[in-house]
Amino acid sequence: MPPLTVSLAFIIFAAGAVAGGLGIALGLGGGILLVPFLTLGLGFPLKSAAAISLTTVIATSSAVAAARAGNQLMNLRLGMLLEVATVAGGLLGGITAQMVAESTLQRIFGFVAIVVAVMMLRRVNRRNVICDPNAEPGRLGGRFYDAESSCVITYRVRRLPLALFASFVAGNLSSLLGIGGGVIKVPILNAWCGVPMRAAAATSALMIGVTATGGAIIYYGRGDLQALFAAPAVLGVQLGSWLGLNVAEQASVKWLKILMAAVLIAVAGLMFTRSTGS
Amino acid sequence: MNPGERDAGHLELIIGRVLRFGTATSSTCFAVGLSLMILGGGGALARVLLPAGLIILLATPAARVVVSVVEYVRERDWLFVALTLAVLLALAASVGAAFL
Repeated sequence: MPPLTVSLAFIIFAAGAVAGGLGIALGLGGGILLVPFLTLGLGFPLKSAAAISLTTVIATSSAVAAARAGNQLMNLRLGMLLEVATVAGGLLGGITAQMVAESTLQRIFGFVAIVVAVMMLRRVNRRNVICDPNAEPGRLGGRFYDAESSCVITYRVRRLPLALFASFVAGNLSSLLGIGGGVIKVPILNAWCGVPMRAAAATSALMIGVTATGGAIIYYGRGDLQALFAAPAVLGVQLGSWLGLNVAEQASVKWLKILMAAVLIAVAGLMFTRSTGS
Repeated sequence: MNPGERDAGHLELIIGRVLRFGTATSSTCFAVGLSLMILGGGGALARVLLPAGLIILLATPAARVVVSVVEYVRERDWLFVALTLAVLLALAASVGAAFL
């Protein structure tokens, strides 16, 4: 692990800002960018990079959920139910990360980066909402006011076992690789479980904080997480997210997505090379 | 109306307050600690503030789960009391896996 100098703190801060900004603009967490930068660019072991990234995931989750609280977009009951699966997955992932080799983690990261790149290029967003305020959302469903279509949207949750399984996998990969995991469960909740995109994203944003906490605690206790490195990363991601929220509307998201997909494919290639080489 | 729906907005607001407080406190610790490190070459205060910021950051989502348990107990929604307690238990298991 490189020693912390003032310039390294600034580099981590800047990397966090870029990852956070792009994450907000593209609707995915910054972790998938921050981790490869820390490990491929700055030479951190993948475990330390993942641990640092998890702290930024927690900070982002807390900030986003705090900002969303009150508009009913977060489905608290669904979130708290699925959290049982994500946190269990996160616990398992955190323990697994202590036992597997760096090269294995690199290969898994490379594979997930490719999946994320593909997911980003083909956007799944089927209409599955009921625009009737009197419709019955069931025990886990929800309703919220959608400003875009100016109506109250009601939805029911379908295929709960699938949602639980996706949450478990997302939690597992979150701890193992230092990503939020929203990129895995949001498309599944949206496409197969009947949850509208914005509600799925808001609920996921709430869940990833507690999920990442389980993993981060394990890394912290095992000595892979230092406050000295987490602090600039967290502050950078917060600045980046704030900028992203205020600038994202002007940017051309389509080209950003294609660029990001290219970057992720390159990251995957580098991870595979590292895992076999050095 | 579903059980708990009338209070969902209430819980959301409490959760929002807990998360806002936690994020603001940990970020302040990080910002002041880092500034001290950079300006003063690392003092005793920075060595306290940076880990404190990290621990507050990690405690914030856990605190959010704790207030959810309390709120579901007040609503007598035992299924969700059990679910949120299970999440807390898993977090406790993480602490166990980390330090034992």
